[in-house]
Amino acid sequence: MGIGSFLSKYVGKNVMLTFVQVELLIGVVGGSSAAILFMLFEHVEHFRVLLYAIVAIIGILVGLEVPLLMRILKDRLEFKDLVSQVFTFDYVGALLASLCFPLVLVPHLGLLRSSFLFGLLNVLVALWTMQLLQKELPWRRSLQSVAVVLIVFLVCGFAFSEKITTWSEASAFQDPVIYAASTPYQRIVITGGGKDIKLFLNGNLQFNSRDEYRYHEALIHPAMASLDHPQKVLVLGGGDGMAVREILKYQSVRNITLIDLDSQMTNLFKEQLMLTRLNGDSLNDAKVHVLNQDAFVWLKNCAERFDLIVVDFPDPSNFSLGKLYSDTFYRSVKRALNPQGIAVIQSTSPYFAKNSYWCVVNTLNSIGLRTTPYHAYVPSFGDWGYVMASPVEFKPATNYPQGLKFISAETVAPMLTFPSDMQPTVQSINKLNNQTLVHLFESEWGEYVETH
Amino acid sequence: MSKLISRSSFLKALVGFGAAGVSGKLFFDWAQNSQPITYRWLGPSMSFGHKIRDSKRLSAPPSKVAESQKAVTIIGGGIAGLSAAWWLKRQGFSDFVLLELEKTVGGNSAAGKNDISPYPWGAHYVPLANVESEYVRALFEELGIITGYNGSGTATYNELYLCHDPQERLLKDGSFHEGLIPKRGLQESDKLELARFFHLMHEFRAAVGADDKHAFSIPIELSSRDAQFRELDNLSMAQWLEIRDFRSRPLLWYVNYCCRDDYGASTANVSAWAGIHYFAGRRGTASNAEHNSVVTWPEGNNFIVERLRSQLTDHIVTGTAVAQLKPEGDGIIARLVNGESQNESLIRSKCAVFAAPRFISGHVIDAEHSVAPHHLTYAPWLVANISLNRTPEGPGTGLSWDNVSYTSKSLGYVVATHQNITTRAGKTVITYYYPLSDLAPARAREELSSASAGKWAALIVKDLEAMHPGIRREIISVDMWPWGHGMIRPSVGFIWGDTRRNMQRNIGNIFFAHSDMSGISNFEEAQYHGVEAAKKVLSALGHGARA
Repeated sequence: MGIGSFLSKYVGKNVMLTFVQVELLIGVVGGSSAAILFMLFEHVEHFRVLLYAIVAIIGILVGLEVPLLMRILKDRLEFKDLVSQVFTFDYVGALLASLCFPLVLVPHLGLLRSSFLFGLLNVLVALWTMQLLQKELPWRRSLQSVAVVLIVFLVCGFAFSEKITTWSEASAFQDPVIYAASTPYQRIVITGGGKDIKLFLNGNLQFNSRDEYRYHEALIHPAMASLDHPQKVLVLGGGDGMAVREILKYQSVRNITLIDLDSQMTNLFKEQLMLTRLNGDSLNDAKVHVLNQDAFVWLKNCAERFDLIVVDFPDPSNFSLGKLYSDTFYRSVKRALNPQGIAVIQSTSPYFAKNSYWCVVNTLNSIGLRTTPYHAYVPSFGDWGYVMASPVEFKPATNYPQGLKFISAETVAPMLTFPSDMQPTVQSINKLNNQTLVHLFESEWGEYVETH
Repeated sequence: MSKLISRSSFLKALVGFGAAGVSGKLFFDWAQNSQPITYRWLGPSMSFGHKIRDSKRLSAPPSKVAESQKAVTIIGGGIAGLSAAWWLKRQGFSDFVLLELEKTVGGNSAAGKNDISPYPWGAHYVPLANVESEYVRALFEELGIITGYNGSGTATYNELYLCHDPQERLLKDGSFHEGLIPKRGLQESDKLELARFFHLMHEFRAAVGADDKHAFSIPIELSSRDAQFRELDNLSMAQWLEIRDFRSRPLLWYVNYCCRDDYGASTANVSAWAGIHYFAGRRGTASNAEHNSVVTWPEGNNFIVERLRSQLTDHIVTGTAVAQLKPEGDGIIARLVNGESQNESLIRSKCAVFAAPRFISGHVIDAEHSVAPHHLTYAPWLVANISLNRTPEGPGTGLSWDNVSYTSKSLGYVVATHQNITTRAGKTVITYYYPLSDLAPARAREELSSASAGKWAALIVKDLEAMHPGIRREIISVDMWPWGHGMIRPSVGFIWGDTRRNMQRNIGNIFFAHSDMSGISNFEEAQYHGVEAAKKVLSALGHGARA
């Protein structure tokens, strides 16, 4: 504002014209500033520069206002009245605005609408000034038409600010959103652009169709191929049906039970052609039984035994997910395994969250299962970790199903070794009453997000 | 434009803006508050209870009433009465009946249930059992709460029942931090005093008297009688803190919070012995939990009630009060009133266990002169269960089991869905505890009348709003439960004084059982007195074979 006031001395002859122009500019820049910032947030690398630039422009324009106004009024009023009048309106107006904006306007109209409203007020002031100064003001007609155009623009902005918000959310995803739904459990978003179809749950990428075969082949085949004629398989989570697609490559399998909480998720992957093409229509296979239940509760009451149990839950980013990685939960998994059976658990990245990863391994060890940690590179995720756990020792398979693109006897061997940058620095066991894993996960991924 | 602002128009404008502002604010508040909060005022059957109190004024029983016989009559179906019954049954004795005035048993461990979750109306956790808490351990083993013992004899607890993490958080200076001991905004001197206090409590926990008993035991009956510890009962916790030169405000807040939490009374109204017992009594350990852990369930201690009830269904009669209990011959005759039909009946028995709150014994037992009701003080409580559309989060540490605000007069709230192993986010029920420790108990009980239900609902919502701005919009309903005589208060001199000693004595074949007899209201004390009374009954009946 100081800069604006300073610059006002360079305004020479047409003080009134400049004043009206300044009002119009404040109207359009100020009014649309929030919307501009909102829309560009995801796309601008140095957001702060943009923010400060807009604040600076508005500040300079506002700083011009009062000096110009005083010069317009200088011949009409005595100096003491002029000062009193201008500053009374200035201060009282500032007080009212600063009270109304946070207490009334933003809570009731939202930030975008409030800012459009203020912009609108400024343009109306400009129009009113034109009316008052009609005799002295040059270019009155063109200024008036500009003002009308601006009013239409700002009213549109006010009316459609909801749309702007949605558009902005959509633009948080790189590719066009082709499906979005909020279920009682999560927000499902599917994007599709070119060849890539991506699934996001609560904003977190679950798979990218370009490389999901790597993730799912690595999840299923090392364990599955090592088993002798596996017949009964349990999949916990994995409502997209990709893991089931891999399991169905084994002729010996008679029965696959899939437990996923969210019926909207499993129905989507049963019914949508584009998605059933991805999972090979696996969820509609006669061998597959989909149950929409809580995995922990279901497993606790489960009397069946399985040759393979696939545990494919979202990362332990909150306390209710953390319970699905606890020793208590794994005891139920152990109980539901056949004597020679294997459980395989997706267990976050041993590179980005090494202590979290090894905490899952330790927790499985603590309940008396033999563990085989391994990891695989999935471009969309990075270096990703899994653990196999079994009452018996793991012997890698020599034969794998035909047609795999990633897993083979040669590629599995190196997956079983971990370089030193993936070794843990703390040893801990995740229990319901300490939720160590959630605390570790928060600090490790939090650190990663902060530095990138 | 040439007009000036005159003084009068300026003043008018000023007044105008002021009036507009004030009325706008009033309108805004009214609009917000006029969103009606759905509330219900529940609570124990007070009118029926009061009727029993005044039963001396009832007419004499009609000459022909139904009469039955049971060897033992247990009066009261709270933890004490249920435990007495549990013990009798456990010893292979089944000729008994348990009478409960309310429609369901449970007493202070009552619970409710709605579409979202079951929730407690009172007692909601039990700490890990001490070694000397034999009866608690026996029950925990039977119910699978203790699943076994490791090589060194330490109990292993069922992990679904151990309180899940995160357990506690405190809202202080604008955000939540982990634990209830204040951590934020402490001076160096505060930290030193906190350390000194907990060091002292640690010493008390390990202290053993000249009689080789722990200074502070659970149940308290097993505590050392050494005078150096018993003396602590002769001054208040507040006085003891002052004598020991504790002045740190956060520390005093914390100790006061703990006294109100466990005894419903402030440090000024609780004896130092009781105040210290809270910190020094718990020595329970678990192979799979920290020493200060607790077991808890969505429905609170009603989990235990339900398991006891299900094995005693043949013996329990609810909705029936004992109006009169009279020794007659070598037995006892009990006059019963049915709450619905108002029909009276008689039960003749050899022994009785009076496991109802002790302040009513004088109204019911003809020969009861041992305890003057005015020597017993009871803390009134208000408990509310608030159903919410969304879990209350707030800045700092995330939603925990127990959530407390440093500035609230309430004790905060516990989350009923905390122990769930389902992944359903969103709706929850929180149980809000408010001991009316600022008022004299009688005055506080007047405040707890249903006429003031709306006022209390508004007060609770306001308190929650201060903890979680905007929570009002998430409230589905506020259900309130007044406990006029919520729990006995361990006032100065009560625990090791004459009144409590007299309370232990039987009157002929009427034996007493209630946590009132401990001066401390919790599960372990109630259960201890229940089992002890059952043992006395069995020995009076000569049924000692399997004991």
